[in-house]
Amino acid sequence: MATLTLAAKDLRLLLRDARSAIILLITPLLLILVLGLALGEGFGEKPDERLRISVVNLDRGLSKYDGFPEKPWSEVVIDDLSATPDIRIELIKDRAEAEKLIARGSRAAVLVFEPDFSADMSRCSFLTRADPPPINPFDRDGVRLRELGLAVLKDPTQPVTASIIEQVTQVTMLRVLIPWMIGRAFERVGDKTFMEAVAAKLRDESIPPSVLQELDPVVQKLLTALFADKEFLAMLDKQFGLLAGTIKGQVPKFQQLIHEAFKKPELMARIGKGIGLGEVMTPAVRDEVGPRVRDEVQELLSNYDFRAKTWAGLNKDRMRSGNMANRSEYKDTSGSGFLNRGAVRYQILVPSFTVLFMFFLVLSVGWLFVAERKHGTLLRLRVAPLTRAQILMGKLLPCLMVSLAQGVFLFTAGWLLFGLTWGSRPDLLLLVVSCTSVAAVGLAVLVASIARTETQVAVYGTLLVLVLGGVSGSLMPRDLMPEKMKSVSLVTPQAWALDAYAQLLGNPSPNVVLILGACGILLGFGVVFTLIAWWRMDLE
Amino acid sequence: MIVPMSETVLEVVNIRKSYGKTVALDGVSLRVVAGELFGLLGPNGAGKTTLLSILCGLCEANSGEVRLFGQIFNRTRRDLRRLVGIGTQDLSIYPDLTARENLRFFGRLYGLAGKPLEARVDEVLASVGLTDRADDRVGTFSGGMKRRLNLAAAIIHEPQILFLDEPTTGVDPQSRNHIFSQVKALNRAGLTVIYTSHYMEEVQELCERIAILDGGQVRACDTLPNLLKLLDARVRVGLATDVPGFEDRLARLPGAKSVHPIAGGYEVVTDFVPQLLPLVLALCAELGLRITTIDLREPTLERVFLHLTGRELRD
Repeated sequence: MATLTLAAKDLRLLLRDARSAIILLITPLLLILVLGLALGEGFGEKPDERLRISVVNLDRGLSKYDGFPEKPWSEVVIDDLSATPDIRIELIKDRAEAEKLIARGSRAAVLVFEPDFSADMSRCSFLTRADPPPINPFDRDGVRLRELGLAVLKDPTQPVTASIIEQVTQVTMLRVLIPWMIGRAFERVGDKTFMEAVAAKLRDESIPPSVLQELDPVVQKLLTALFADKEFLAMLDKQFGLLAGTIKGQVPKFQQLIHEAFKKPELMARIGKGIGLGEVMTPAVRDEVGPRVRDEVQELLSNYDFRAKTWAGLNKDRMRSGNMANRSEYKDTSGSGFLNRGAVRYQILVPSFTVLFMFFLVLSVGWLFVAERKHGTLLRLRVAPLTRAQILMGKLLPCLMVSLAQGVFLFTAGWLLFGLTWGSRPDLLLLVVSCTSVAAVGLAVLVASIARTETQVAVYGTLLVLVLGGVSGSLMPRDLMPEKMKSVSLVTPQAWALDAYAQLLGNPSPNVVLILGACGILLGFGVVFTLIAWWRMDLE
Repeated sequence: MIVPMSETVLEVVNIRKSYGKTVALDGVSLRVVAGELFGLLGPNGAGKTTLLSILCGLCEANSGEVRLFGQIFNRTRRDLRRLVGIGTQDLSIYPDLTARENLRFFGRLYGLAGKPLEARVDEVLASVGLTDRADDRVGTFSGGMKRRLNLAAAIIHEPQILFLDEPTTGVDPQSRNHIFSQVKALNRAGLTVIYTSHYMEEVQELCERIAILDGGQVRACDTLPNLLKLLDARVRVGLATDVPGFEDRLARLPGAKSVHPIAGGYEVVTDFVPQLLPLVLALCAELGLRITTIDLREPTLERVFLHLTGRELRD
């Protein structure tokens, strides 16, 4: 009861202390407001050295996927881009958003895959004729992107960056198009159409005598084999009867005669005059010869695989697939309205300054203790029938309540004023606020146990809070701190609180184990600080 | 706890207290009975505040014993602390709370609550003349009003014994008189009061018994008349002329203890000036001596203090 009486009194004094209200509530809000207006869009985000290529993908894809490619061509191109470790892809949902970003200079260039991109890519070919008509995607500058339905929106005020992005896109498009077009062309080598075309070309040309003369051994072999074949001989007997024997007996002479005839160029020229060379390339011949021609060409150029249709396949190199980690959805982190409500920087500013100023409680609590001594009331408390623990608890309780109220106030104000989102676990947010309060109150009573005057409280308290704030990362995003400094900063309770808040406010799936661990350590800090204060404090 | 009058409520036995090499109290012994208004007189640094700190349980003596209401009292006796009120030398009230809030707070610390507390707060506010300012913040009060509230905070829980440590320091005459009348009224109501001061006039006016403390020791402890008896009174008579045998006649007057010639007259030492003075005047008239000056030197507490300590109280 006495503890509550003491607590109620101190709570009343704290609430009447305009100085504390300004320090604990107004100042952090003002700082968040000023920095929220002054800082840029990327504040708090870890610098990313990779080239950002922003993409709007409106590609409708192909009506059906039969072999290669297995997905829309735009995805193939994006995969190729994202397979490069130094490039990251940012996916923007629509053209209007992209145009807005270009207009305000937030992006130097944005690639827009138009709805027909896949269809146009599929038509790219070295062939002259095809159905649908082929597209030649190349010109002297490289790939004619616009012809293929790939627009590059550019910010004219950032020509260098825009050119880099365009050139990177050109290279990627070449890597995608060339193997695709070679592959498609190579499929045609020796195929039925190809061989028909060859046969058609040769159909009207008479067989040259030299070709016929070279056929002599073939004809000889054919005749020998024919007259050795029983079935043929039976057919001969049936057709010629008794004459068959005579014919068989004359075959050697006949073969000799044929042989002699094939030796005569004029004779060959005369008999070959009416026979087109293409007639020799019958469909069966074409079917036999075509694939072999293609295989032979491939064999001849065996350092490459002309059928692969991918750059890695063409070069017989290791395939590099698209890296999904290099892709991310574009999020508008700039906020809206005069206050830039909802800007992602508030997800860092609000918790940082909340943590920083929760520890400024050392001033209010210190002044409360000093005032108790200064006004002589501590003496009256010591005379009263109170224990030391009751007196200390009577101080701790209102300070804890003020600290909790401060944390809740700042996060609520952050939500209302700055569009701060509380993350997916507001329950844990309250837990972290509570544990931070315990640590802050512990530090506050520790300072109060050391300082004897208001000036000492102001000097020691401010110095301590600012130094701890700087070390912990309350004054700058922790992500920007060197790893070594980050580790060192964990000697401060503020760092643990900030890590927990970063999980809750920055991670869509917060690591609960990490948060609970941080809460445990914050409570530990609070207990240790309070025990030291208990040991040092002159309450009797 | 109802304590019968004349019963000892506070007994201090051979208390010693030192801070490092500085001896603050050196074998102090006192006894205060119920209903007494006891004065503790001593210059600054005499050990009054140290003694009061021990008596209130703020610190422990190095040796000796304090008995409060017959029980040994020390810092752990929270039950006995409830019986004690203290009016501190420096103010001990919250300037950012109102007078009423201050009294409510201190009342609650001693277990008062609800209507009895509110009634007691009103009663005490009235007794110190602060009813009109009850709901004003103490920070806006004059020094005297704060002193009166300080006294009110000391008695809000109706203590059995009240320690007042220099309660009139820095107050205006009006508030001083108010405090005096308040202390007297409390004492009349049966409250035992230990009043420390370095103002002899205050102690003389208020206290029945007085302990003179100096250098950490009790130099004397008695009623005021008895303390004054420690010193003789002196009647100095200046004469225009002298006659032989006048000195012997003075020495034979009833009440005259001794006679010493001084420049232009005589000094007669006595225990009781009112008895001696008419006799001196009658003798002069009888002998036709013309008196030029009469100088009465009665014993005062200040002279007693000087006599006991060898120095002025305000040294």
